[in-house]
Amino acid sequence: MASSLTTRRPGAAHAAPRVRGRGRAPLDRERRRLFWPFVLPAVLTYGALFLAPIAYAAWTSLYKWDGMGDKQWRGLDNYRMLWDDPTFTTSVGNTLKILVVGGLTTFVLSFALTLVLREMKAKLFARSVLFFPCLVNALVFGAVAGFVFSPDGPVNVVLGWAGVDTPPKWLSTDNIFSLIIATTIWTATGYYTTILMAAVDQIPRYLYEAAELEGATAWQQLRLVTIPLAWDVITVCAVLWTVSSVKVFELILLFGGSTSGQPPTQTWTTAMYVYVSAFPTGSVPKLGLASAAALVSLLMVGLFTVVLRRLMRRDPIQY
Amino acid sequence: MNRFPVRGVGLTLVWLIVIADLLLLLWIFLTSLRETGDIFDRPFAPPSAIELGNYANAWTSGGFGAAALSSVMVSVISSVAAVAISAPAAYMLARRRTKVSGAITMSFIMGLGVPGQVLLVPLFVGLAAVDLVDSYTGLILIYVALALPFTVYLLTGFFSGVPMVLEEAASIDGAGPLYMFRRVILPVARGGLITAFLLQFIGAWNETLFAIAFMQSDDKITLPVALVNFVKMQQLNGLDWGTMFAGMCIILAPMVALFAWMGSRIIEGMTVGIGK
Repeated sequence: MASSLTTRRPGAAHAAPRVRGRGRAPLDRERRRLFWPFVLPAVLTYGALFLAPIAYAAWTSLYKWDGMGDKQWRGLDNYRMLWDDPTFTTSVGNTLKILVVGGLTTFVLSFALTLVLREMKAKLFARSVLFFPCLVNALVFGAVAGFVFSPDGPVNVVLGWAGVDTPPKWLSTDNIFSLIIATTIWTATGYYTTILMAAVDQIPRYLYEAAELEGATAWQQLRLVTIPLAWDVITVCAVLWTVSSVKVFELILLFGGSTSGQPPTQTWTTAMYVYVSAFPTGSVPKLGLASAAALVSLLMVGLFTVVLRRLMRRDPIQY
Repeated sequence: MNRFPVRGVGLTLVWLIVIADLLLLLWIFLTSLRETGDIFDRPFAPPSAIELGNYANAWTSGGFGAAALSSVMVSVISSVAAVAISAPAAYMLARRRTKVSGAITMSFIMGLGVPGQVLLVPLFVGLAAVDLVDSYTGLILIYVALALPFTVYLLTGFFSGVPMVLEEAASIDGAGPLYMFRRVILPVARGGLITAFLLQFIGAWNETLFAIAFMQSDDKITLPVALVNFVKMQQLNGLDWGTMFAGMCIILAPMVALFAWMGSRIIEGMTVGIGK
């Protein structure tokens, strides 16, 4: 997992002064003495319950294991099996759809909303309402969608008023994933709009005044002022989106009030695949395979992060 | 001046989405007060009377009551613990800029990019070995671990913003670093600690993957698991939508309350360091 969410360390601007003045030395020395007692609880917990498990997952991914018996060495065969498993390729494809299609749409919508909200009355209120869905467990939206889009549900009732007699079969297995992407976009847009708004608010007004004097149209202002100056934040948003889209799980689990024990495989994401392989209903757990699938999702995050940062790298703009 | 019509359309759209979001929330709440048959016949009708029967059902036979208590307990304890061990670490990482502290900070930041499913199998195997599967302690430990990268990241940024002058002054007055941390730094950083707690609480409240994999006994499951189980349980004889909506409102209520009460703090925390 190379690369980080930000290039700067948080608050680097306030870095400790290098001067070791007379008055500061004892403070510094005592701080050094207390460094490990302060840091260790967090580092140990993190090491034992976060970093070590990642290593263990990588190791387990090389074995065939049901969790009870002995591990059987498999080398990279688990990864080869994943490659050949249509369910897994669908899961990866779905994850990529959320990542790319959902991401681009969310980004365009967030930018549009930011521009509108900027000069709107009651913008804080509107922003709060748009933001709220990201605090709600996606299970709720999945379950509500099962009702709202059911054949006699509210959506079809409204469509019926509008004269649509043969509405699409919303919850058929072919359509359900499009609804899932739409829901992801809806919940995420408010969040990213909020981030972008904060970034755009930092851009000094006089730049826009100058652009206006020069006769720049709204579109030119967006292209030549807003986007370049908010670029760093846009990059961070892209990375955040990557991480969060690889994690999508709740929404899939219950979407449409899922009709059988498991959601239809057409809608699976990598997270879902890992969960079902590790905790299947009515078959033997495949812990090695699940670990391999989890590692693939980790690699996806790493790869996208590196590529995004490379593609989106710009010279920093001072203003 | 050609931007006026575009702006008009944009404004209308934004307000439409805002109103739709609010109506959806209101509709979920109103529907939770109605009977299932009635809901399907007239999905938009207001509740005929304030019926709390769905809530009684959800709370007892639906299992949402016990789950709510589990959720409150697990979320509160794990958030407090996460903040309690992150705060001192973040303070030191913000103040001592050595190679070691830089490497530690970096490793926490990299943890932000690890999707939870990577830890699922290893944590299950590990906690099963020490008999902590299907136990509150196990789930709390997991939530603390999952919370660490973000909490440390958030608080490191926060402590970096606390001016050094404070400590220098306290040091001249003869305060030791421990006393200083407790009496000078923590009070000043209270806002950051509350934000960290809130965000972790929200995260733990909504966490589903680990809760569903680790918690099996009905009296220990958390709310998201209760909702999933409820839907599964009802599969055979048709879903009792009224009760399910009541259950969802139980999940939603604390989020609505927290957001109404401390919305700006939550928004700021979740977008901190990104919008700068």
